[in-house]
Amino acid sequence: MSEHGHDGHHTIFGFDRYKFNFWVLMIFTAIEVVAVALTFSMRDAVSMNTVVFILVVVGIVKGFGIAAIFMHLQGDPDSRVLTATALFPVFFIVVMVLFIGLTHPDAADTLPDWCRPGFYT
Amino acid sequence: MSYGGHDDDHHDHQHSHWGPHDWTHGHGGAPHNSWAPIMMAFGASFFLLGFTKVFTQTWDDNADLWTYAIHSSEVGILIAGLAIFFAGITVFWRQDWSHDGSYEAKSEGTPFRTIDIRKVALWMFLMSEMMVFSSLFSTYLRYRTGFDNCEALFESGLFVEGQSCWLPASYFIAEGGYHQENAHAALGFMPDTLIPGAINTFALIISSYTIVLALKTAKDASLSDAERNSKVGKYLLTTLGLATLFLIFKMVEWFIGFEIGHGEDALFHSPSLLADGFTIHASEYTYCHEWDHHGGADHAGACAAGSSAIFDIRMAASTFYVTTGTHGVHVFGGMVALFYMVIKAFRGGYTPENAVSIEYFGLYWHFVDLVWVLVFPAFYLY
Repeated sequence: MSEHGHDGHHTIFGFDRYKFNFWVLMIFTAIEVVAVALTFSMRDAVSMNTVVFILVVVGIVKGFGIAAIFMHLQGDPDSRVLTATALFPVFFIVVMVLFIGLTHPDAADTLPDWCRPGFYT
Repeated sequence: MSYGGHDDDHHDHQHSHWGPHDWTHGHGGAPHNSWAPIMMAFGASFFLLGFTKVFTQTWDDNADLWTYAIHSSEVGILIAGLAIFFAGITVFWRQDWSHDGSYEAKSEGTPFRTIDIRKVALWMFLMSEMMVFSSLFSTYLRYRTGFDNCEALFESGLFVEGQSCWLPASYFIAEGGYHQENAHAALGFMPDTLIPGAINTFALIISSYTIVLALKTAKDASLSDAERNSKVGKYLLTTLGLATLFLIFKMVEWFIGFEIGHGEDALFHSPSLLADGFTIHASEYTYCHEWDHHGGADHAGACAAGSSAIFDIRMAASTFYVTTGTHGVHVFGGMVALFYMVIKAFRGGYTPENAVSIEYFGLYWHFVDLVWVLVFPAFYLY
């Protein structure tokens, strides 16, 4: 969140970058809530997969906006090393998710062909 | 303690591992060694260990219910843990007390060389926080994918009364709860039960922006001191207000519920999760698959004949309350810090040369917001 010492990072499309980011976050949050509300008001017309897709996209945009602009993981001299620091736990998260998959009751049944014994013979 | 040939430099910086650091300007480095984090880690561990020994829950076969007990004889380890933890905080505070805030020591170790050392420390802390929430999310994923969905289980016709299954919190929140077929929807397109969570989401986003504005204003040298103090204080106070609003709506959603108007004429009606039966003790939750449309909209009508079942939904409730509760604790922690910062701001504690504590708190606060970006769709909406 430190201030930038050079022009160009202060604005996005001519707007103050923080104000721009704030309104993007507000709009995407509204989209998020409305998307879920559709499952309530248009239960038979909107599939759950569509809503999940919207939620994932909105989550990525909001997460990027907060981390990159508000937390300054983009544009500062120390952004790269701090981004790497922030992403370090991802390794452990991947390991955890992997174990979640491997310990699922259906894990062995639903493995794709390329992951089964004998595929390369 | 040796640091690879820099011993002499470090002795210049620091007199003791326990006492106040020497933050002398111009040395280009910072005191590194402190026992405080280790003390705090041990203290927290003892406290949590004591917590599990003092508060226990056991199944009583005779009474056919869970019984809870408080073992006062085990309270010593809990208190010892708390004491060690707060002693660690005191050491930390005492070491930092000599810092005037206008000089940021730089980190000396690779890869963080030349980055402000407290900023690096804050990011290290956020990394550990990421692991905390990652473990909670992986728990959620594991159980959510491991349990049958109650709705699907009922539709399959293979369910057994009292069987464990997953009834997501979204069933109660995003779909209107137990009485969802007759759920109250004052806004038309969304159930009233979703309103507290939606307001909270906007509150956190706005508070993330107000903390940014507080930092920008604190660094604005064009303002007079009085004007700057007032503005920074107001932005921080707004952030504190929004955090308070967040926790109030959390309580409303969990325990209280809300109603504007009364009975069938109520404009808004949102039962709490507690009132809807979504609790960590819900081993015999009465699930309703199809609501009787003629049962009336009084939220007390009957489930359609043959559409109800008894399910054990404790796992879904536990993961929801632990995860959202942990996030709530982080919001509360932020409120404590904000309370101090508001007072400091109105007393002129922040200047263009000394505003880093707002910046570092902002990093923490944005992280709390970021976690909510994941928690809200995963637990409230899906």
